[in-house]
Amino acid sequence: MNSSNEQAEMDDAEDFELADLPDDELVHQIHDDLYDGLKEEIEEGTNILLERGWAAEKVLNEALVGGMKIVGIDFRDGILFVPEVLLAANAMKGGMTILRPLLAETGVKPIGKMVIGTVKGDIHDIGKNLVGMMMEGAGFEVIDIGINNSVDDYFEAMEQHHPDILGMSALLTTTMPYMKVVVDEMVKKGIRGDYIVMVGGAPLNEEFGVAVGADAYCRDASQAVQTGQRLLQQRRAAAGA
Amino acid sequence: MNVRARKRSAGGREAKLAARKEASRKHAPAFIERRIPVYEMLDEGSLELIESNADTLLQEIGVEFRDFPQALKLFKDAGADVTGELVRFPRGLCRSIVKATAPAEYTQYARNPERNVIIGGPRTVLVPAYGSPFVRDLDKGRRYATLEDFRNFVKLTYSSTGLHHSGGTVCEPVDIPVNKRHFDMVYSHIKYSDKPFMGSVTRPERAEDSVAMAKIVFGDEFVENNAVMTSLINVNSPLTYDSTMLGSLTVYARHNQATVISPFILSGAMSPVTVAATAAQILAEALVGMAYAQLVRPGAPVIFGMFSSAISMQSGAPTFGTPEPSLVLYTVASLARRLGVPFRSGGGLCSSKIPDAQAAYESANTLQTAALAGVNFMLHTAGWLEGGLSMGYEKFIMDIDQADMLAVLLHGVDFSENGQAMDAFREVGPGKHFLGCAHTRANFETAFYRSKVADNNSFEQWEEDGSLDTAMRANKIWKKMLAEYEAPPLDPAIDEALLDFMARRKAQFADQNY
Repeated sequence: MNSSNEQAEMDDAEDFELADLPDDELVHQIHDDLYDGLKEEIEEGTNILLERGWAAEKVLNEALVGGMKIVGIDFRDGILFVPEVLLAANAMKGGMTILRPLLAETGVKPIGKMVIGTVKGDIHDIGKNLVGMMMEGAGFEVIDIGINNSVDDYFEAMEQHHPDILGMSALLTTTMPYMKVVVDEMVKKGIRGDYIVMVGGAPLNEEFGVAVGADAYCRDASQAVQTGQRLLQQRRAAAGA
Repeated sequence: MNVRARKRSAGGREAKLAARKEASRKHAPAFIERRIPVYEMLDEGSLELIESNADTLLQEIGVEFRDFPQALKLFKDAGADVTGELVRFPRGLCRSIVKATAPAEYTQYARNPERNVIIGGPRTVLVPAYGSPFVRDLDKGRRYATLEDFRNFVKLTYSSTGLHHSGGTVCEPVDIPVNKRHFDMVYSHIKYSDKPFMGSVTRPERAEDSVAMAKIVFGDEFVENNAVMTSLINVNSPLTYDSTMLGSLTVYARHNQATVISPFILSGAMSPVTVAATAAQILAEALVGMAYAQLVRPGAPVIFGMFSSAISMQSGAPTFGTPEPSLVLYTVASLARRLGVPFRSGGGLCSSKIPDAQAAYESANTLQTAALAGVNFMLHTAGWLEGGLSMGYEKFIMDIDQADMLAVLLHGVDFSENGQAMDAFREVGPGKHFLGCAHTRANFETAFYRSKVADNNSFEQWEEDGSLDTAMRANKIWKKMLAEYEAPPLDPAIDEALLDFMARRKAQFADQNY
């Protein structure tokens, strides 16, 4: 099925090079290529726009973020599948790797940084990995500290990377209370207010998120992206005001 | 900079949606080719005992053929003992007649050749429910069915990948006079679907009209030599055939059209209360009907049918989805295979009034049993409520979801290299996930059955979407299917000839409601 579809697409396709496209068509093509998860094409398109004198911020917002928005909507609506979104997120990551140093140089505020890890006693990390990929797909810089993380592990990562968001995950009802241990320690050390804390995992709910003192419970990866974006925006607005 | 020539393809969202739509259309096989074994529940000795008891029933008790001398004569000529309307059969007579000429399988032709079905052998054809006077949906509740409802269910069946056959009386269009509604029913199957269908059996002349209309579509000679209809002949259990059913059976057999010979049994009322007795009676009754068809026209396709459930001994009401009828079904399926003819049973049977948990459990029990038992022609697969009194729009959607799942189950296990997926293990290794590996990317679209009805989202997502239950979700689906329905093309000359035939025939006699 796949091969015949590809064949059909090839048959009525015409040769072209990304570099020959005018700006508006190239941006549209980048949206399509993100949708199709084509990492090399995304890197190439990003470089072409930069060579044409586009500011890194404009490339980010119009070409990459715009494309991933469509991916996010179709994932939420059940049109795109998990493997496709992972591929799209990976393509996005390729573009971000090129843009991130340029954005830093020009002093543009990055989209955001997140440290994410599964709590102590828990080695179930597939959901956490999906959240990380999706956050990267939305342009966040994600530092994944893996599984079985103690309070010290989280603190070490926060000190080293200065993230905007700390994400914690658990699959087990027996490990999820550890999130409160981490948050309590943050409160005790007086750093709780420096971070947005997001928690997630199958046995959690809104109420649990509140009870452990997190800023948000995120029920799935798309929600995590939306919540992270929203909370960070609020925080920056509050800081600016 | 890395510039390389590439193809401009219509990529992105639109291309993906178009490709998926096209793929879903292509992946609708005409019938199920079974690749897992049937469930044989009984040993050889038990089955032989039931066969011997069936022979004893035919030899000792006999079968009545009411108001139909033609059958008496044919059986007498074949060696049976006829006393009045009661026919007793020497042991093995009916079996030898059936085994001599009844086909082990046959093709029922559809007006779209891609929709032809093979009935028998390792194949399963799924067919919507049959015969309900009422329809039901969430918006308008329970009401008498109309021709519009009939058309709707033909359209919904046409649009269902899991149903292979358009069925027959998908509901009873009570707004049309009894003596003329068969025209509209047969026409609707031809006009609004291109899947194979069933003819009218409520009078021999209505069977003749069905054959005449089929001949307009398929041609006279083709119909006389090939099955283009499979029609439902019920036995008036216990051990009785009536003239209506025998008359229609005679018409169809004479024209070489297929019939499903179906003992209709609610154990406790129409058969003894036990499994072994019910199975023996079903075998005896079906043997006689199938033998009769062979005497009318040797080689006429017949299906060993059975509709068997139990009654409540407290109220006398029929019950469905209980264990005993499943035991009967497994038993009779084995008997049909030993006889070498196609087998009909099963369906999404339930006695629940609404598409609730009772409906789902009872229907699932019968559907699973029928699938594992090796049913070839599964009437009542979709829509059945209330012991068949009601055809449910939402229930229909729930059932076609099950029908699609049965196809996957019966296809069994893929042992190709792709099925073994050793490359996926090599790529991923311990402690990682398979969601993004090449093998998953190549297979994810078709790897797992995706229910159209079930909600698998998180609690929060489900709540945000309106906390809809199964029936509420199904309600949206049938409305969407009807809104998106497109009729299959029909040669305008054939359409005109059918309409002309119906108009002429309807003008030949007055409307009557009997």
